[in-house]
This record gives sequence, structure tokens and C-alpha cells, in this order.
Amino acid sequence: MNTVAISVTINSRRYQLMIKPNVTLLEMLREELGLTGTKCGCEVGECGACTVLLNGRPVNSCLVLAPQVDGQEVVTVEGLAQGKSLDPLQESFLDHDAVHCGFCTPGILMSAKGLLDHSSNPTEVEVRTAISGNLCRCSGYQQIVDAIKDAKQTTDQKEKRRVHADTKT
Amino acid sequence: MKPFDYFSPASLTEACGVLAQSGNDARILAGGTDVLVELRKPSAHSPKSIIDISRILSLKGITETGDSIVIGALTTHDEIYRSQLVARYASLLRSAVATIGSPQIRNRGTIGGNIMNAAACADTVPPLLALNAHITLKSVSGERELALADFFVKPYVTIARKDEVLTGIRFPKLDPGVRSSFVKLGRRNALSISRLSVAVVLRINSANVIEEVRIVPGAAFPSWQRVGEAEELLVGQHPSREAFIKAGKKVSEIMISYSGRRWSTEYKEPVVAVLVRRALELCVSQEKTA
Repeated sequence: MNTVAISVTINSRRYQLMIKPNVTLLEMLREELGLTGTKCGCEVGECGACTVLLNGRPVNSCLVLAPQVDGQEVVTVEGLAQGKSLDPLQESFLDHDAVHCGFCTPGILMSAKGLLDHSSNPTEVEVRTAISGNLCRCSGYQQIVDAIKDAKQTTDQKEKRRVHADTKT
Repeated sequence: MKPFDYFSPASLTEACGVLAQSGNDARILAGGTDVLVELRKPSAHSPKSIIDISRILSLKGITETGDSIVIGALTTHDEIYRSQLVARYASLLRSAVATIGSPQIRNRGTIGGNIMNAAACADTVPPLLALNAHITLKSVSGERELALADFFVKPYVTIARKDEVLTGIRFPKLDPGVRSSFVKLGRRNALSISRLSVAVVLRINSANVIEEVRIVPGAAFPSWQRVGEAEELLVGQHPSREAFIKAGKKVSEIMISYSGRRWSTEYKEPVVAVLVRRALELCVSQEKTA
């Protein structure tokens, strides 16, 4: 078996790697790069726990062979926060208590991120369709749907809060 | 996953060359939504080589040439769903790809993979047969185009040779005014495998008489086929619930003539009939586009 040289951008950082071809993107993220935020669930593309963005679109990282991401751009849940500041979507998940056991959360965040990046004000049907490939074993779907729908509002509120704080000082 | 040699040809010519040299023990990888699941099965025979064609950009995209639409084999289900050309000239195909897997699967899975995997439940196949689609296969020894209707032998078996790669799918545009539909029954909406599906193309003339109809059930026959016997019942008739019920029952009858009565027949017999009626009714309820 040959090894393959790949160059891939993950969370805005460029990686040059030598990898075995029989490794999935999921295994590469978790085992080779220590990016364990992406979870390993069913490994057959049914549960969505391993969802990442590949060139801006949600995919099951368990169904992508690592060499296939050569030259591509990947974003994992670790790429959402900017430094210590959470993504508005993550803030909204906290506001809505949309995290129970947390196992599905990284995958659902990435499916939702894929949606919100392309449509800023999605309908409930669009939200539910966007996360239809993600299972939540705690069945906390309602809070998750609410959190995604309100994510934009969370940004606006934060903005207001900041403006308010600025005028106070 | 067991070890394998990995090739990622940059062009179609290179891909055909690698395929010709790899003999019988190579597997073509495109979107990977079926192949990776297979590769991970511990029991499965694993191929010696994986030939990843996902980099061959010439196999991607949807174009129109005269009266036809051509879809590159590597075009994803999501790209088909978002195509204006498909929405306009083959709306039943758009309805079908919308039901495949999940958003994640639709972003990776390709139409070429769906055809070549040849599962009895492949959701793009009934619409493509109802569209009279042709496919193009390429190898080092040349290129051939054949009717999709002649391509399948039985589930998971096609007449493609081991050294051939599917490059594209071509079908005539549906005329404006011709209606089409796809209905599917699965255990749930997302990530469900078709238990049964039906694709229909229906042409009704200005005197409200059915001029042409094509009915292709999915996951019903040993291999896909149009059901001419049911189509004949409808041609020359006015569209009506009674006529559609009769056609549905005929499809069901023909299905059983192939499959015999088995454990699932009690369920499938009425369900196929209803799905056929619903698919036909869905066509009639559509606004004419021209």
C-alpha cells in the first residue's frame, strides 16, 4: 500500500501530511491531528455525528477518504469559535439549552453552519431539513431547532448589548 | 479498512489507463457514500486498488445540447437538485434526488455512483428510465453509448465491463406541458432506503386525452422496467381517478407475475397500486408550464 502526500486547509490552517489511503477524513482529524471535536458515531453515514464542512458544504467525514481532501478546505467544530469568542450559533445553543449529552452537538453545529452560511434567515422547514441527517440520541430536537432559528437574532442581540455597554461607558 | 493501492487520476484518459492495468480487482471511487460503507465491512472482499475519479472535473456539471440534457457522472445529487435545467426539463429527477439520503449524502453522492452501484432502490434510476436516458461508458478501447434500459442485469449487476467508467447521462428534454412526478415510500423521510417508488411521465393533449405515459416503478421488479401493460390502459383515455386506479392495479399484477407471492406481497401489492395512482394524480394536479 502506498502512502499519499496531501495538502489540506483545516480551520484556516494549512497542513502538509503523508497519510495511508485507507484512512477516512474522520480518522485523520481525530487520530492524526487530535481534532477530537468531530465525533465518531455509526461510521456508515447514518448518524451525522462526524459532520464537517468540506468546501463550505456539510458532509459525513466517515464517508470521505482522507486523500480525497487534498487541495480542499475543511472546517470542523474547532473552527467555529474565533479565539475566545464563540460563534453566534454556539451562543444560541447555550441560550436555548440545546445541548444534552453533547455527542451530536458538533455534527449538528456544522450542519446548521452550512445552512446559515447560505441562507441567513431560514424557515423552520429549512432548518429541519438541514439537520435531517443528524441524530440526537437525547431527542432534544426542539431546542436545537429553536437555537438554529434564533442564531441570527443572537448575533443582533449581542450587537445591541455591546452598543448598550458602549454607551454606558 | 483493509489496505489498498490508491490512484487519483487527473484526467479521464489517465483513469481509463489505470483501470485497464488494474484488471478485475479495482473499484472506482466517486462520492464514496456507497463504496466507503462497503470497504469498512469486515466480511467484504476488498479490492486491491481504489481508483478515485473525484478529481476529474470534466465529469462534473449539467449542460444542454439541442434537445438533450447531459449530466456528468460526477455531478452530485445536490447539484442536480439546484439545477435550473433539471427543474425545467426533468422535474421528476429533481423530486427524486431531493429524497436521497440526507443533506450530507446529497453533497457527496453522485448520479454516476447511484447508477453504477445498481441497488434495486437507487432513486435516480426510475426517473432516468422514464426520461429514456442513455449513458456513456469509456475505456481504453473506446466509448459506447447505450440505453439505460439495457444496462441493468439484476440488482448490483450491470453489463459494464471492469475496464469501463461511466462518464455521463443524456436524456431528451421533456417538452413544456408534459408533466412528470416521482413518489417514494420509505420508513421515514431522511436517510431512508426506498421500499417502493414510482416515476411517471405523462402527456395530455388539448382535448384532455392521455397521449403518452411512461410508468417506472423502483424496487418492485428484479430489474427496472417500464410497465407497458399499464401504460396501454391509459393511452387514449381521459385522465381520471378510475383510470389511474386501474393502471395501478395492473402494475401491481405485473409485479407479482415476476416476483411470485412472497412474504412481502401482501404489503407491496396494494402499496404499488396506490403509489402509481398518486404519481399519476400528482402529474395532473401540476400547473402546465406552457
